[in-house]
Amino acid sequence: MILAFVLAWQVGLAATVPALSRRLGRNVGYPLAAGYAVAAALLLTRLPAILDDDVVQISWRWLPSLDVSAALRMDALSLIFALVVLGVGGLIMAYTPRYLSGSGQHITLYVSLTLFAGAMLGLVFANDLLLLFVFWELTSILSFVLIGQNQPAATRPAVHALLVTSGGGLALLAGFVILMVSLGTSDISRILAQPERLASGPAAAASALILLAVFTKSAQVPFHFWLPGAMIAITPVSAYLHAATMVKAGIYLAMRFSALFGDRRPWSIALIGVGLATAVLGAFLALRQHDLKALLAYSTVSQLGLLIGVIGVGTPESDAAAILYTVAHALFKATLFMLVGIIDHEAGSRDLRELSGLRREMPVTSTMTALAAMSLAGLPPTIGFVGKEAIFEALSEAPGGVWLSWTGTALAVLASVLTFAYAARLVYGVFAGPPRQRGLYEPSWSFLAPAAVAAVAATVAGPLVGLLGPLVVRAANNARPQGEPAELAFWHGFTVALLLSALTVVFGMLLFTFRTRTDRMFLEAPTARPFVSYFDRGYGWLLGFGDRVAAMARAEGPAPFLIMPLLAVLLLGAAATALVGPVSRPPGSLTRPGDLVVLALLVMVIGGLVVARSLLATISLTGLVGLILSVWFVTVGAPDVAVTLLLVEVLTTIVMMLVLRQRPGEPVRRERARPSGAAAVLAAGVGVIAAAGTAALTGRRELSLPARYYLERAEPVTGGHNIVNVILVDFRALDTLGEAVVLSVVALGLAAVLDTAGATGRARAGPPDADLVFGFAYRVLAPVMLLISAYLFARGHEEVGGGFIGALVAGTAVGLGHLAHAGSSVPPLGWLRGRPLLVSGLLLSLTVGLAPVVVGRPFLAPGKLPLPGPLSLSSGVLFDLGVYLMVLALVVSAVRRLGSPGGRRTEAPS
Amino acid sequence: MTAAALLVGLLTAAGVFLVLRGSQLRLIIGFILLGHAVNVLLLSAGVLRWRVPAFADGGLDRADPLPQAFTLTAIVISFGITIYLLGLLRTGGAEASVIEPDPADDDGPTNRPTEVRDRDET
Repeated sequence: MILAFVLAWQVGLAATVPALSRRLGRNVGYPLAAGYAVAAALLLTRLPAILDDDVVQISWRWLPSLDVSAALRMDALSLIFALVVLGVGGLIMAYTPRYLSGSGQHITLYVSLTLFAGAMLGLVFANDLLLLFVFWELTSILSFVLIGQNQPAATRPAVHALLVTSGGGLALLAGFVILMVSLGTSDISRILAQPERLASGPAAAASALILLAVFTKSAQVPFHFWLPGAMIAITPVSAYLHAATMVKAGIYLAMRFSALFGDRRPWSIALIGVGLATAVLGAFLALRQHDLKALLAYSTVSQLGLLIGVIGVGTPESDAAAILYTVAHALFKATLFMLVGIIDHEAGSRDLRELSGLRREMPVTSTMTALAAMSLAGLPPTIGFVGKEAIFEALSEAPGGVWLSWTGTALAVLASVLTFAYAARLVYGVFAGPPRQRGLYEPSWSFLAPAAVAAVAATVAGPLVGLLGPLVVRAANNARPQGEPAELAFWHGFTVALLLSALTVVFGMLLFTFRTRTDRMFLEAPTARPFVSYFDRGYGWLLGFGDRVAAMARAEGPAPFLIMPLLAVLLLGAAATALVGPVSRPPGSLTRPGDLVVLALLVMVIGGLVVARSLLATISLTGLVGLILSVWFVTVGAPDVAVTLLLVEVLTTIVMMLVLRQRPGEPVRRERARPSGAAAVLAAGVGVIAAAGTAALTGRRELSLPARYYLERAEPVTGGHNIVNVILVDFRALDTLGEAVVLSVVALGLAAVLDTAGATGRARAGPPDADLVFGFAYRVLAPVMLLISAYLFARGHEEVGGGFIGALVAGTAVGLGHLAHAGSSVPPLGWLRGRPLLVSGLLLSLTVGLAPVVVGRPFLAPGKLPLPGPLSLSSGVLFDLGVYLMVLALVVSAVRRLGSPGGRRTEAPS
Repeated sequence: MTAAALLVGLLTAAGVFLVLRGSQLRLIIGFILLGHAVNVLLLSAGVLRWRVPAFADGGLDRADPLPQAFTLTAIVISFGITIYLLGLLRTGGAEASVIEPDPADDDGPTNRPTEVRDRDET
């Protein structure tokens, strides 16, 4: 429970930031620091149990179908990482207020940092692969947010960091999926407990993918370049995420999964090889930097490499060394970042070539920096010394052959020599030498205190390392249950490790003393082009590839899009003809003489439509096609369909006239004539296929079962006589509701398109009521049409009619009014308004649908509403009324918006 | 080949031809014709041997009411989309007139948006 509480506590802290910030401003960091301390104290209450080799855990069912649970678990390893997250986090929170300027927005920063701490805690507590993955990605995303905050120049580094770390996250997911599939569980403790269950194939794949995640997150070569780039973030972010915690997530993952993969040689070799190569390269690059933050960034890369390399060794001692050095590095590196932030703040620069002689004005800062740098360089009595001794010892005693242990040790010593040299340069360059700037002061104690606490802690922790011992030993045993390592001690006696430390100091001093000569050598050393440019080139290539793929779908008109599907129709038709062959003739006669008349008429009308060049002719012929078809619909026994189509055609024609009447009589098109030959051939081909498909696939069956059911049972079940209408409002009411919602969306979409695009058509010349004939017709017809509309609606259940048809008739009246009174400021039938109609229609339909649910019947189940007397109202009629209102709403808003000359805006176009 | 099949073919061919011809209004009209083609197809799926309107009076040799209900829905939906397309046409025309209010301009209203956009890009 305590684990879940601590996670919730972090989220709660983040949630209080906006409110606290209103009162405290940037000082909100102090209560947050206290909050972190409370969380750490809560976790520490379980320390006795943890030391007793117990674990704290809790689990909820999350995705039972996948056997995934939200399981949290804390052992000593998790506890150490959690304490680093909360401890360093608390110091950073106490440091940030003085670092920030008094004005400006700090809420996002504090919220993101606090959430980030929560995500890190979740990552180290997670006891389920998927949960671990989720927290892993959360830290990547929050790191992206924190790097990219408030600076345009930060976009590129932030994107680099996100792409690299979340790319590794994807690899992690793939690796986890392999584990879950081959082991049948996502429970981490169960997976780790039985490494022998994993077959070697999946193990190789999963371990490679997990290593990729480790190397990207912990900035190992060749993925290290994102970390120096991330230094563009403000110093608290760099200190917390990119020195102390987030980059340690990779370390945690490597340690955790060493229990599973540690016995496999490729795992060890990859960790040792990549880690130590990174350690040397990072230290070498750090030595070439002048910017203090860049120097510290490459230093972090190098130190992470050292850690990764030691994890690969795989003895109890090496695990203990890695854990100890993780804590040490978090302490001294966060301190150095904080101090560099202070120097930058006070002296206005963090360039080694500009800074000099700060020790006179800033003695406390100088001392603290020197202490932290001693830790970095591995000088006694600091914890850095103890940690590095442990690393040397573990490497020199590495199993797997003499050449491995010797090479590993040599590389680690080389990295440490370089580290010593740049640590010395840092301290000497900034604080020694003649002072160049005047008027510098020691920062206020409140600014310095968090860094000072960490620096002193890193120093005294060396001699007091015995206090940490039991927890570290326990954690090493959690990482790899293979026996207790030797107790940690400050003084081991005269060992190989001590000799190596002495060597490091000697060679480091030499490197530092002859720095003018060696600097030239280092700066001139040929280096490969920065990895970031390779990454950018690859990334650019990938984007270019995507661009080329997408280019096929980016075209000027619709024709290029449609060619592919149309050709596919041709292909399908040809394939069907070839494969199926001739089909039998349908029984009975499907064609009546009247059909042929309709066909002949349509051939003529459509022929005219295709070649028509006048706008008016095009619109009239389009309407005529619809009229002829609706006549045909009557002859095939579909009167409802016919009436609906008729009304739709009338309304479409009205709306088209409203839209296009600015220029009646003008040709439809006078643009460059596109070659029509190919279009005609393609169209003819598709038409033939469509006709053949229709002929081949229809007309060969008996009355279908649903049709029989509707014909026999519709009236007894619903009381309605018109079966088509009954199907729409009773049997398939959900379809109809969805359809009405589509119309509502169209109405809203029209509003959005026309209002934002500023539909400012040209103002009409002439008096508002120019059209005498239409005006008269409208005045006479509108009331009649509204009455007919009501009548058609009311009889819908029994005869031809219903909500659609009634609403279309009413809409026609509105449209007619707009044709007649174009340009008038008072819209005809102005009391009919789109949005109220829409809302009331939708609410009515939904109410009718939901009412049965209240009494425990299915959604939209039909029922009867009792009225006074012998009457009752079928729910279908009410539902149909909702449909009526929504359809009318569409017509009204279409006519209003498309028909009025200025849309909503009546002022002149600007 | 039944008359309904020929109707579907005719409407489809004309619709495809108009859609491919580039201008916005023709695109919309082509879309309407394709909608008609689908409606005829739906109705003929109900077997056009039975042509008596489906009213409940006990007989079973009636037109299949289910495809008719589908067709009705299809008509209303394509009406909605046609209206929306006309709204887009209107916006395009308005854009052109805002940018270039020259009444002597000779182009039809329908092909303006693409031309205006071309000019913006170059």
